Amino acid sequence: MTSRRALAGVALLAGAAVGVAAVAHHLATTPAAAHPDGFVAEATHLPPPQKPAFTVGRPRLLNRHETRARFAPVVRAIAARAAPVPAAGVVGSLTTRTPEQTTNIVLVIGERARPDGLWAHVRLPVLPNSLTGWVPRRALGGYRFVHTHLVVDRARLTATLYRDGRNIFNAPIGIGGSESPTPAGEFYIRDRLSGFGDPFYGPVAFGTSARSAVLTDWPGGGFIGIHGTNAPGLIPGRISHGCVRLRNRDILELARLMPVGTPVTIR
Amino acid sequence: MTDPEGHSAAPPADLADLGPTLAEVDSDGALRETAADAFPLTRGELFRQSATAAAAGALGYFGAAWDDAEAAAAKTANDIAILRFDQVLEFLQAGLYTEAERLGALKPETLAWARVVGAHERAHLRAIERLLGPKKVKNPGFNYGNVTSDEQAFLKTAVAFEDLTAALLKWQAPRLDSRAIVAAAVSLHSVETRHAAWIRHLVGLQPATSAFDKPASQHKMAQLIDSTHFLVSQPKTAARKKPPYTG
Repeated sequence: MTSRRALAGVALLAGAAVGVAAVAHHLATTPAAAHPDGFVAEATHLPPPQKPAFTVGRPRLLNRHETRARFAPVVRAIAARAAPVPAAGVVGSLTTRTPEQTTNIVLVIGERARPDGLWAHVRLPVLPNSLTGWVPRRALGGYRFVHTHLVVDRARLTATLYRDGRNIFNAPIGIGGSESPTPAGEFYIRDRLSGFGDPFYGPVAFGTSARSAVLTDWPGGGFIGIHGTNAPGLIPGRISHGCVRLRNRDILELARLMPVGTPVTIR
Repeated sequence: MTDPEGHSAAPPADLADLGPTLAEVDSDGALRETAADAFPLTRGELFRQSATAAAAGALGYFGAAWDDAEAAAAKTANDIAILRFDQVLEFLQAGLYTEAERLGALKPETLAWARVVGAHERAHLRAIERLLGPKKVKNPGFNYGNVTSDEQAFLKTAVAFEDLTAALLKWQAPRLDSRAIVAAAVSLHSVETRHAAWIRHLVGLQPATSAFDKPASQHKMAQLIDSTHFLVSQPKTAARKKPPYTG
């Protein structure tokens, strides 16, 4: 019994010795990098981090309270219809260019998906004023958004520009007299002309989708403009042929603030 | 709350538990706000739970930000060409997602994705524009047609663009001369891969399909852009011409 215990003790000691030797061998042959101390040592010898050429700033979510209107260029001449179906009656026609040879744009006030494709509900630059119609979405180009809205008040003889609902511009105006009144309704800014060198219109003129119901044979179709003047003393007043006239400093300020595509309410 | 097609958008039961977690990963709050908007019933709860962590997260975000090194980044002609391509791509993506959000015709979960990712892409665009300075590209103009109003068309397009953008950045990175620009591009790349995984998850596709991703060339991305016909010229809405108006 005693000799068996002695044998077992010897065997245990021998096993332990082999184990210790194996561990010692492993430690001696393992690369330093695999040891925790090795990782730290290696990390301290890495080159310093590269500064990025740019950092991306804080993302800005769209303001949920922004007011927006969208417009699109007319990319193919098309008939506007009373309803979003090909068989609906024609209420107007759209060309790709304006009389001023700028791209014809329309204000888009809605969309409807139909089996034959997407249709856009648009405000038309035709008589009678404020008319709307439907055109296939594919007849229009890319949407662009504006956050401004111009209100022309014929009673107070003022023009007020709002951006996201906030009043950012106010000026006295001249409007049409009783023989050629400025029409009331919902319109939009179609284009912007400058550098024409005619003091009568001032330095800048905006074309609108509004048309004179009286001067229908006017060259270009009798469109109503918003422009400067060479007679600032007449403003405010009912002195135009239907256009909205501003003093030149005011039209220049408006030109700085108001993009093409801005909806216009004349009331 | 239901979407236009009648799908229920009821809040998940455990959304409130996401508050602290979101604050850790969403330091700018974009994701949190969208989640709160998408599930208004839990909005207050979510904000209460995450308010403290969000403040800490925001501090961490700004504290950890690098000083911009654009002045120091030497931009070679090669790097400028790559950056200009990326700028156009960011224009395209930012415009696509922003328009989708503004039109609001897609399902709520898709709009939530577009809201957050659109904000990211606009931030990417600003950063690249700032780096390019006078060499930046002018907005070329886009026409997304019905893609921003049509759920299936939008999802397909978004998956294609996010997948390919991640692959493109992988292709571009080893071709950049400036290490500083590589370092910046890497910070965009990981975000684009998250966008890709997120939109894939929304669609029901596997977010990660392989252990290793392959790069995709600029040529391949150019082909994708070309196939969409999104790129158009800007309308000419100004002229130097005598007004024909009634006066």
